[in-house]
Amino acid sequence: MSELAQLIMKTLTGKYDEVSVLVVKKESAMTKLWNTEPSITQSWSETHIHLRLTKSRRLWVLSFETRDPLSIIKDSESLLSLVDRVEEAQLYSPLPEPGKCSPIEEAYDSKIESFMDNPVELLEQMINAAMAQGVDRVAGTLTLSKITITLVSSNGFECSEVKSQVEAYARAFKGEISGHWAHGSTRLDLKAIEDVGRRAGYYATLTKTKVDISPGEYNVAISPLVVGNLFNYLAYMASALQMLMGFSVFLKYPPDVRIGSELLTLIDKPRDPTLPGVRGFDDEGIETFNKPIIEKGVVRSILHNSATAAKLGAKTTGNAGWILPTPWNLEIAEGDVKEEEIAQLVKDGLIITNNWYTRLQNYYEGYFSTVSRDVALLVKNGEVVGHVGRVRIATSYPRLLSSLIGVAKRRYDVSWWEVRIPTRAPFMIFEKVNITKPEV
Amino acid sequence: MSYSEDLLNRLIERGVALGADYVEARYQEDRGFTIALLNGRLTSVQLYRVRGIGVRVLVNGSLGFAASNSLEVEDLFKTVDNAFTRAKVASKLRKSPIEFSEEKLGRSKYRVVEKKPLVDFKVEDAVSFLTEVYKAVAGEIKDAKLASLVEVLKVHLQDKVVMTSDGGYVESYIPRLYVLASSTLLYQNRSLQRRREFGATGGVELLDEWKVASTVLDELKRLEKVLTKGVSPPSDKVDIVLGPEVVGLIVHESAGHPMEADRILGREAAQAGESYVKPEMIGVFRVGNQYATVIEDPTIPGSYGYYLYDDECVRARPRYLYREGLIYEPLHNRHTARIFGVKSNGAARAMNYASEPIIRMSNTYLEPGNMNFEELIEDIELGVYVKSYMEWNIDDARWNQRYVGLEAYLIRNGELAEPVLNPVLEFTTGWFYSNIVGKDKNLEFYPGTCGKGEPSQGVPVWFGGPNVRLSKLKVGVLR
Repeated sequence: MSELAQLIMKTLTGKYDEVSVLVVKKESAMTKLWNTEPSITQSWSETHIHLRLTKSRRLWVLSFETRDPLSIIKDSESLLSLVDRVEEAQLYSPLPEPGKCSPIEEAYDSKIESFMDNPVELLEQMINAAMAQGVDRVAGTLTLSKITITLVSSNGFECSEVKSQVEAYARAFKGEISGHWAHGSTRLDLKAIEDVGRRAGYYATLTKTKVDISPGEYNVAISPLVVGNLFNYLAYMASALQMLMGFSVFLKYPPDVRIGSELLTLIDKPRDPTLPGVRGFDDEGIETFNKPIIEKGVVRSILHNSATAAKLGAKTTGNAGWILPTPWNLEIAEGDVKEEEIAQLVKDGLIITNNWYTRLQNYYEGYFSTVSRDVALLVKNGEVVGHVGRVRIATSYPRLLSSLIGVAKRRYDVSWWEVRIPTRAPFMIFEKVNITKPEV
Repeated sequence: MSYSEDLLNRLIERGVALGADYVEARYQEDRGFTIALLNGRLTSVQLYRVRGIGVRVLVNGSLGFAASNSLEVEDLFKTVDNAFTRAKVASKLRKSPIEFSEEKLGRSKYRVVEKKPLVDFKVEDAVSFLTEVYKAVAGEIKDAKLASLVEVLKVHLQDKVVMTSDGGYVESYIPRLYVLASSTLLYQNRSLQRRREFGATGGVELLDEWKVASTVLDELKRLEKVLTKGVSPPSDKVDIVLGPEVVGLIVHESAGHPMEADRILGREAAQAGESYVKPEMIGVFRVGNQYATVIEDPTIPGSYGYYLYDDECVRARPRYLYREGLIYEPLHNRHTARIFGVKSNGAARAMNYASEPIIRMSNTYLEPGNMNFEELIEDIELGVYVKSYMEWNIDDARWNQRYVGLEAYLIRNGELAEPVLNPVLEFTTGWFYSNIVGKDKNLEFYPGTCGKGEPSQGVPVWFGGPNVRLSKLKVGVLR
């Protein structure tokens, strides 16, 4: 147990009915690339301290990014005076019986830490692989981290685990066309870093032919980056608190109801040691486990902590978040489509290689749109014939998921600016997707 | 010399002694609380205190940033060393040096004055306030079902001390208050969701000024009519009128962002994207007509994006982003100002101690006109008025944009008529600014949290404008 956590526990135990201390220590180094050069190196040495304090069913969560024990304790003790003046929390549940401490082994790769002071070799591999494709310039980011998570609770739970994290993404430009790729893992794989640059360069140089298309319905293949982004939003909506707040498509599509094609399986996978969201225990000390959110198109799991589970008559799923249950890692089950067959399966339509700015008009119905940001390829008779500029997928989640006609076999571990929950994702192919773009 | 001034001074001396050409040290503390109520009952109370020091150095033309939330001198010296050594290592990959513009830097202290200081605002009083808002609203929605009302109140107190090796020193205290009312209405097989935000700098007195309960209730009653009586938008091209909230978002997205000089140069290419604006277009390219004047002003008293000096100690001032249709003045920090051969206009902001200062908007708005609303729409035979939105997005060059209306009405024979459900507007930046045909004089601002950078930094901004009338446009529907 960290000394700070020990001091906080010792001081607050007895004053509150329950005390939980979550300490996250993070050492990170990031190099950001701009026009094929570093724009900045950034380094962080941070200790984040989170407290869950309860008394007489009143619940407080405190977040500190300071190592000053006096201010932490002073802030914590100041809440005691509120007990008689604030109502009981409607989402309170006593801390559950603690799970066993089973930290995930093999989530730490010392090679990642060894490159923090000098990542030039990794950066050069990523940049050179892109430039070798004939691009004009490369932007991107390489982030290396070591993270130690410790949880101590007054219910007797005490556990700590350590993981490393590499996140690499590159955007390569050839004239007005760009390609993008991303990789995230707890392990350092030089080939994967190189592949980020190579694939970004590949998409930037795949075609120079601009083709105008009209808005309408198209068969669409989306890359693992797009899959990661869209399924991040979907998985956030699987949090029980999002449902309680009304901001979830799973209110209309609860467990055991079909939301999509049989080809779709979406798994929350905290116990995968290679995905950077890996967690052996949740914030309530429950041992995590892998679970399908959607299995063969049918909704299977809503993500709970003890409080949301108590409110909705369910069991915790090991996804606490003291307030907000959260997915840890996502995995889309593999399909049987080979990558070289994707254009043939699309036949006439689009391959969207990257997106951003996904926003929902209505979470309850799942209406959303998202914009392509790197090359969007036009496919005719199973062949790539050009690119179409920036277009928009505008549909609803149930409609999109029901139109899934193919899932690639190969999957990629994706994590970047637009994919914050690490996701193992394949290419996916949908039919008759609504595509829009301005006509003025 | 205060404790923090002495500490920052030692860090700067350390960086200079290592050989840095420029050192900047920033102490920042962000603290306060956030409470949330779901359907009138307390769901969470969260207190936060985010405090530490961020250091930025220039060495061999390479920029390094490092941050720590330990305030122990030895830990902070290591932070300076990390910024220096890692920037020096990365300099091997730089072909041209990063340099900063020469500036007359501020030496100043300023504080936002609150009538009722937020530091004295008690959690229980905040809970009572939101409870009363819920009571005022809940029983009044009768035709539709108010399935959920999530209320959030956030108190944010921000202290900063910034010191630079070339003479800048600025201390500031900015208190901010934020309220969110997020609702879901259901009616038969229809539903509608709305996020209504209030945000500004100041004290507890803002809660009275905002009239949260009546504003939320009045809007929900109007949205109830949209949900229960809304019709599909016309299928032909019609005149379009946009309310200040929608106009504000449009100018934020398609004037503010593309006029950030770091985007124009490609520094955010792999994250928030680039810009349709190229350096050679500044001062010569017309993106719109004479109505297209967009102003960016951090100095508006009480605004959510308020500051008087940026995080490089450069004095803030208003800037014209677009002026009568002309692409006029980008937002600069000292780095981009040097490249463009101009002075910085003070746009560098950092979210917290652990964030590098980058070019950010503050308060962005379309200059209002001089008509009243009735005059703006009086000669429209058939049109659509879009007052608020939920879904929106824009491409990463800031050209192709979409807004889906929430509260919207038909305009028939110069008057607002029946409500319209989910009208979809898609247009380019060039079309919007070239097709403004009228503006009224009702300037309104709305708060937002703007995201940019890696790691992503969310900073408070205002965006606003008047009611704006556009040329005819085909309105889409949700599919």
